[in-house]
Amino acid sequence: MAINLKPVDVAVIGLGAAGGVAVLPLTKAGLSVAGIEAGGWMDPSQFRPDEIHNNIRALVTSVPKALQEIPTLRNAEDQPTRRASTHPMMNAIGGTSIHYWGQSWRLKPWDFKTRSEVIRRYGVSAIPAGSTLEDWPLSYDEIESYYDIIEREIGVSGKAGNIQGKLDPAGNVYEGPRQSEYPMPPLRATGYSELMKDAAQKLHCKPFHPPSAINSVTYNGRPGCAYHGYCNRGGCHIGAKNSTAITTIPAAIKTKNLKIFDHAQVTRIEVAANGAVAGVRYLRDRKEYFQLAKTVLLASYTYENSRLLLLSRSKQFPKGLSNNHGQVGRHYIGHWQGPPTLALFPFDINIWYGTPAQGITVDDWSDDTYDHTGLGFIGGSVLHAYHEMHPIQAANMDTFGQAPAWGSKWKKFVHDNAARWCPSYIQTSSFPYENTYLDLDPVTRDPLGDPVCRVTSCPHENEMRAGEFAQKKMEEWFLAAGAIKTMKYPVTPPGVTTHAYGGTRMGDNPETSVVDRWGFSHEVPGLGILGASVMGTSGARNPTLTVQALAWRTADHVTRSR
Amino acid sequence: MPKNKVLSRRTVIAGAFVPVSAITAAVKATLSPPERKILEAFVDRLVPHDEYGPSAGEAGVVDYIDRSLSDFLAPEKPALLKGLAALDALRFTAMSPAQQDDVLTSIEKSADLRPFFLRVRQLTMEGMFGDPFYGGNRGYAGWDLIRYPGPRLAVSPEEQKAGVEIKPVRGSHGH
Repeated sequence: MAINLKPVDVAVIGLGAAGGVAVLPLTKAGLSVAGIEAGGWMDPSQFRPDEIHNNIRALVTSVPKALQEIPTLRNAEDQPTRRASTHPMMNAIGGTSIHYWGQSWRLKPWDFKTRSEVIRRYGVSAIPAGSTLEDWPLSYDEIESYYDIIEREIGVSGKAGNIQGKLDPAGNVYEGPRQSEYPMPPLRATGYSELMKDAAQKLHCKPFHPPSAINSVTYNGRPGCAYHGYCNRGGCHIGAKNSTAITTIPAAIKTKNLKIFDHAQVTRIEVAANGAVAGVRYLRDRKEYFQLAKTVLLASYTYENSRLLLLSRSKQFPKGLSNNHGQVGRHYIGHWQGPPTLALFPFDINIWYGTPAQGITVDDWSDDTYDHTGLGFIGGSVLHAYHEMHPIQAANMDTFGQAPAWGSKWKKFVHDNAARWCPSYIQTSSFPYENTYLDLDPVTRDPLGDPVCRVTSCPHENEMRAGEFAQKKMEEWFLAAGAIKTMKYPVTPPGVTTHAYGGTRMGDNPETSVVDRWGFSHEVPGLGILGASVMGTSGARNPTLTVQALAWRTADHVTRSR
Repeated sequence: MPKNKVLSRRTVIAGAFVPVSAITAAVKATLSPPERKILEAFVDRLVPHDEYGPSAGEAGVVDYIDRSLSDFLAPEKPALLKGLAALDALRFTAMSPAQQDDVLTSIEKSADLRPFFLRVRQLTMEGMFGDPFYGGNRGYAGWDLIRYPGPRLAVSPEEQKAGVEIKPVRGSHGH
């Protein structure tokens, strides 16, 4: 028998980038909150400049629950299913915000109304075949104030390019209008970032230092970045990078309204006889608990959000919670990131140190900032030239056809060139399709006997063409900066990814979405969903800031409607 | 970077390996001496001893792999031993370096042994260029080879300039 716990106002499942933010407005409003998290507090001594620890063995990011629930993947219903190599879910207080790059973008106004904008400009035939693309139920203007709150709460550094319509070329002139400047200036310029900035300007692009949840100066008692170069898949050793474990969660704890249950694995969300949410069932230290709650906010990773709903069957919801319209798992989007485009320079560019969010970005080729007539795709890509290179990664470089992969000639090549090459980061706007979805794997199970999440996702022409277009632009940029060689790897579709969207899409229509404009289930009173699983488009940039702005907005809605 | 400067640093390092015992936990071994010998002959062709510095074996790559197989990579040991046995069947250690290169070139292309080749190459990269705490990169030979300026806890603007040589630091952060 489960041990019943005293009812709370709100139970939050997962204290990561989304849930870790939502607990703050809830607890500040005086609501009692149970934060139920499958992982625990990370030991900061784990955060160190050690490539084998962070990147090769992935010891910061490997957590037992996630590793036992690695999703499976197939390209189509008639294709073989394989287990993904890893699970991007992070079970820890702070979640993936511990080890992410911290890139903290607002989506652009176009991302919220892509369908109607594409039809308006290019006609309905320009909508990618087989896509289930819809406008979001809210506009950029409706989320703008939440972006502003989050940027201040977690601390985002950057340079505004559009404050209330006033453009500033030092920032991103293509962004949606902001009510105010970023709370901190951008991360510092470097030799490489200046080189790439000059090259972008030569090409008549508008380069800028991108926003990140990494302090450029002391902010809210946390220090500025030390630029030591072990940010990717490592936690910050000095707390300069935001993680909700050091920003919003400690602030929520101070209110004394947050009770954290760590190492608590949620197995089901339960409903009362009237179909409203009743509470959360979880396992902790081999005992089963039932946390009663008036409101449940499901804030796990995208794959787990859909899985937990599909596992939570009841008389009222025989196909899974909030799934009477068959929408849970639909409209899944794996973000097209890459395709890899590399460059070799004739001098040391020294990108060893710094952090991936540090660098120079161009937004001239994303969304609809240019005429797509005749290009064969909608959307586009953000191109980013960035810092942080580790020694094993550097030595494992492509030899650009100039040396073999081992032996003395290779040795001379890496001696000369390990400090002279760089990758790039290309993110492409990606859309939902009929044939991309999440469901429960009929074969593979976790140790509790529950099916793992199965991802069905195949390549799509639109994103493929957009990716190839972006690669050419990246290559031109590198060559303008003086690169002597470039390398374009083939464009490949995403698999199980750290940028996974959909499965519980937000919309006004219960026939095509799972949650309403506030993030609450169309079908289950009291059930809210947080995370990129509610996003209907990806944008051409990292999801986390949008996830956090939406999480704050949904939590705000709870405090206002109680 | 001027060549003579590189060579002088190499010469110093090649002649005086810094003992890693001070920064490395007790090295556990799982491979037998003959297995280690075949592995060493293999990795020494991937990263040979030359004017750019020590070979992979001299830099502790065999220790890195051996130690990894005793703990973190234990599940991989049978596959690795199978590959080493295939090399042993060819009397790999008795061959000249040129013959060894021919063998490695052929297994790099062989359908059966390519995964073994690529895995040993990847592990060689890890042992050569990873933190010395794990048993490899002895005397920081790997970091010197690629001119990695070393792990620092804080980095100045000068250390993020392009087209300049960054003064290296050496130290281990494993634990």
